[in-house]
Amino acid sequence: MRLLLAFAALLSWTAGGLFSSVSYRSQFPPPPEIHVPADGASGDMLALAFGARRLFADVWFIRLMQYYGTPELEEGEQAGEYDWLVPGPKSEAEHERHEAAMNGEGRYPEFLPRSLHILQIDPFFTAAGLYSATALAFNMNRPSEAEELLRYGLRYSPREWKYLKVLAAVGYSRSSDPAAVAASIAPLLKDPDCPVMLKQLAAFLNKRSGNVAAAAAIYADIAATSRDPSYVRNAERELRLLAAGRPGR
Amino acid sequence: MRNGPRVILHVALAAVRENVRNRFFTLFAVFAFAAVYASVLAGVMAVDQEGRVLTDFGLTLIEFTVLAYALFNASSVLLREAETKTIYLVFSRPVPRWAYLAGKLAGSLATSAVMLALMGALHLLLLRLRGFPPPAYYAWALCGSLLKLSVITSLALFISLFSTSAVSTLVISGIVWTAGHFSAETGFLAAHSSGAKAAVLKGVLLLIPNFQLFNVRDLASALPAAAFAAAALWTAGACLAASWLLSGKEF
Repeated sequence: MRLLLAFAALLSWTAGGLFSSVSYRSQFPPPPEIHVPADGASGDMLALAFGARRLFADVWFIRLMQYYGTPELEEGEQAGEYDWLVPGPKSEAEHERHEAAMNGEGRYPEFLPRSLHILQIDPFFTAAGLYSATALAFNMNRPSEAEELLRYGLRYSPREWKYLKVLAAVGYSRSSDPAAVAASIAPLLKDPDCPVMLKQLAAFLNKRSGNVAAAAAIYADIAATSRDPSYVRNAERELRLLAAGRPGR
Repeated sequence: MRNGPRVILHVALAAVRENVRNRFFTLFAVFAFAAVYASVLAGVMAVDQEGRVLTDFGLTLIEFTVLAYALFNASSVLLREAETKTIYLVFSRPVPRWAYLAGKLAGSLATSAVMLALMGALHLLLLRLRGFPPPAYYAWALCGSLLKLSVITSLALFISLFSTSAVSTLVISGIVWTAGHFSAETGFLAAHSSGAKAAVLKGVLLLIPNFQLFNVRDLASALPAAAFAAAALWTAGACLAASWLLSGKEF
């Protein structure tokens, strides 16, 4: 009887293993595809060991936003010298720099590797892919890097229409066709994954091409739905200007 | 054999009562509630992705908290009953050993299910308060966690019957838990290896339960039917192995 119990246990356990090996196919990138930034190896190890890819991709996304949200220093500048960011009277150069920082411009050399890393950990994090591609293509003027990122996302989500729309928009931006860019991203604007940055871009392009009503609708949507106070403030300001018939730059 | 189901029910109910009265249960519950609340702070940092971050933090913390409690309980329950001589009292009656084990496992899983449901409800309430609808896959994610807990708890019960202490049971179970989440990577290595190395890796894949099969939390999808079948086979295998060990013990 005891021998039978041991045999049944072994049989049941092995059957479970066989069953799972037949029915399970990983949908995530294999280990060689994960290029870990220097200080992130332990985090990635935990992500895999605890089955918490989504959570660690979230953490990497927060770190990406913090990286992108930190103003870059000019050569010879000391950390903490952010006087040009403080509200108040500025010189022409400081004003230009302030505007560029507010528009998300800059070099941010680690932006693409960090963005790719998020998709390597969780290739289904569409919102992160869209956010990064938008920033690369339209804020930092690096469309080829945006395309590389979107193509990586499409490898694991080949039917993701949002990636395809942004990819098309990046292509139109290369041919300097703002109306086509706006038309391409228009279907994305009501999607919950649509980055607010992309909505702002759509509003700006519509405003510039004279489609004030569409621009106002998008700004109103940003003001109502975004949880980012800087975007909300900007949208409210733009709405006031549009209502007064004085669309800003 | 005929009174088996009745014994399972009685032992399971007694185990649930004992678990709920245990002060560790309260401690874990307090910790979980605090941890889920702390995830709100992390969510705020994610700005427009707050809903996703809040969901992911909460689901992971819930699973870890219940895992910690389930492992602690499974690794110490039989040792504790042997130390307090309760087990001698039980086996002096016509109680089949397999039914006693099944009852203990059922009690532990019922407690885990209650903890998952309570913390899940609290988490959903937090999501609601922050203005986010419940994710479509939420119930599947909790169900996947319960399947994982079913496999690891039954395995911990089996390990506790031959390990020297509760700590060693916890350590071995923790290693199996971690290795089980690396199944996809082990499979990749096996596919890219040859000879003895590939054979060893394929053997490991058969022996270590693949917890990724239940990990729909990461895929945000429904559980495949295969997950239920595999969980049932692994749980039954561990229970049968524990029965085999327990049947050879003198009380």
